[in-house]
This record gives sequence, structure tokens and C-alpha cells, in this order.
Amino acid sequence: MATVVTETRRAAAIPACLFAWLLPGAGHLYLGRTAKGLAFLGAIGTLFVLGVAMDARLQMSLGLDDVLASLFSLAQMAIGVPYFAARALGFEVGQVTSVTHEYGNTFTAVGGLLNILVILDAYDTAVGRKP
Amino acid sequence: MRSHVLVLLVFSALVSGVFAMLLRDDRRSRLRFGLMAFGAFVVSALVVGWIMHPFPS
Repeated sequence: MATVVTETRRAAAIPACLFAWLLPGAGHLYLGRTAKGLAFLGAIGTLFVLGVAMDARLQMSLGLDDVLASLFSLAQMAIGVPYFAARALGFEVGQVTSVTHEYGNTFTAVGGLLNILVILDAYDTAVGRKP
Repeated sequence: MRSHVLVLLVFSALVSGVFAMLLRDDRRSRLRFGLMAFGAFVVSALVVGWIMHPFPS
């Protein structure tokens, strides 16, 4: 019986993590943790939107020629659909001469990094390690 | 949003809120932890800024 419960929980963990990556907080909403999910969506979503509004560059630099740029790009990509949607809407270049450009970069990257923690929290919640 | 202090306050509030939701489980301890983290963000930024002030860029 315990094995069945464990398998069910592990099966729920995969879509929870996927949803959590696609949209901040969606993994918790999927798991029925509505307050947490909405809080994550609001806070991380606001970080990302403010970052884009502050002329962040949503670069996609993958490769080993510039490792720091690749890590920064991965951090931004961790926010999921909003990152790709913003790029598709033409916000990928940013404005390097803007006063707030570096603030925007920081807001978007930190939003993505926080979303990685949220994905891990969704996994822990799904497998029963957290309430 | 061109005010450095306003950016600091908004950033600190949002990140503290996420950490509080992640690391605490009940409302009271979340509020307490969130306020502590927010204060730590703001005070540490001001202290580091004050320490760096004598050094020109």
C-alpha cells in the first residue's frame, strides 16, 4: 500500500515540476497549494515583468565560449514561458544604454533562480517531504 | 523606476516574500521571517554602500 502511495506521489512530481518551470507557481497550483502558487506567481512574475520593463537583455547565449553569459542565460530561462514569450514579443535585446539596464538583468536572472528553488519545493511537496 | 532606493525596496520585498513562502510553513512565522529577511537585505545593502562610498569607481 505504501509503495502505491509513493509511486502515485512520484508520478505527480513530474508534471508538478514541469508546470512549475513553465510558469512560476503553477506546480503548486497543480498540487492544490493555491496560496503558495499564487504568491510565487505574483512575486516572481513581478520580478520578471519589472526586469523586462527596466530594459533587461533576455539573451540566449549557450555554449562554453562565454561561460558566465551561458549561466546568466540559463538563470533567465529558468522562469519558463514568460522568458520565451517576452523574447517572442521583441524584448530580447533590451537597452544597454538605459540607466536601469543592469537592474533589469538582475531582476530577471534572480526571478529565474528563485523559480529553480520553487521547482525543487514543488518536487518536495509532491513526494510528501513538505506539507 | 529610476530611484535606486525604490528598486532596492521592491527587490528586497519580492525576494524576501518568496524565501518566506519557501522556508516557513505557517502564516505567523512566514511574516516574521519575511520581515527579517527584508530588513537584512535593506540594511546590508546600505552598509555595503556606506563602506564602498570612500572608494571612487
